[in-house]
Amino acid sequence: MHIPDGFIPLWQCAIYWIIALIALGYSLKWARENLDEKNIPLLAVLSAGIFAIQAMNIPIPWGTSGHMVGAALIAIVFFSPWAAVLVLSIVLILQGLIFGDGGMTALGANIVNMGIIGGFIGFYAYKILKGIGRIPAIFIAAWASIFLAAIACAIEMSIAGTFPLVEGVIFMGLYHAVIGVIEGVITVVVILGIDSARPDLLPDWVSSRKSEVLE
Amino acid sequence: MNTKNRNLIVGGLLIALVIAILAPFLASSNPDGLESTAESLEVPESEPAFESPLPDYAIPGMEDNPWGGVVALIIGTILVLLVTLGLASIFSKKNGNGSE
Repeated sequence: MHIPDGFIPLWQCAIYWIIALIALGYSLKWARENLDEKNIPLLAVLSAGIFAIQAMNIPIPWGTSGHMVGAALIAIVFFSPWAAVLVLSIVLILQGLIFGDGGMTALGANIVNMGIIGGFIGFYAYKILKGIGRIPAIFIAAWASIFLAAIACAIEMSIAGTFPLVEGVIFMGLYHAVIGVIEGVITVVVILGIDSARPDLLPDWVSSRKSEVLE
Repeated sequence: MNTKNRNLIVGGLLIALVIAILAPFLASSNPDGLESTAESLEVPESEPAFESPLPDYAIPGMEDNPWGGVVALIIGTILVLLVTLGLASIFSKKNGNGSE
């Protein structure tokens, strides 16, 4: 859902840029308080992996395709939505600057949707749902993160006068409800992978070791 | 950096690079959700405001060659890793005013 240049009037782009820059400031504050030699390597490889997997578009019905975004994964694994804002900002800035994926004028809006909304929905959905079981909670939180980011994107497109509201929400919602399944599956697989390879890097709320101890 | 962290970076980067190498061959070229919505609603395509060096994950002049895409994605994957490592190291507890 990378918004290209020309879809949002410049004055509205400026508002999204300001929101994105403020959020980026908070995410750097989070980094200063939470990143150390132990968790920086995981942040860096997940960041690189998210960049790569965003190029892997998987076909969905209606002649459309979609790819994972990764904000819920980062927010859950690093126990903070600000971690997702940081990683998605890095990925989106480099995608826009070097690969023309997502317009530079729309970069603020893309960070708002995929980084901020994706990260916060992923984090709080998992927080609310984790009582139903770790794996279904991760799946639903990841699904909701991309679905609601797409709905937000459709609303922004409507404010911009580019999409009509109802049709925009229906199409974006429908496509991303399907793409969300991809997001959910990959997020679960990656977290289970980290859990088996480096369980020491997972926070208690998503670690299997901790839940065994608690039960 | 200890061995465990070096293994994590090497292993994680290898997985990312395998995805980057496979993507130009396996990824669907269908429009994504936003592009499809724009097509359905007959929104005209727009021009980028800024000329990027490797547009659409391709080497200029070899847009139809998937290996150009592989090279572009490998560059991007390594660049994202290095930028994240660098930024995270600058803004980490050690260099920051975090509680330590």
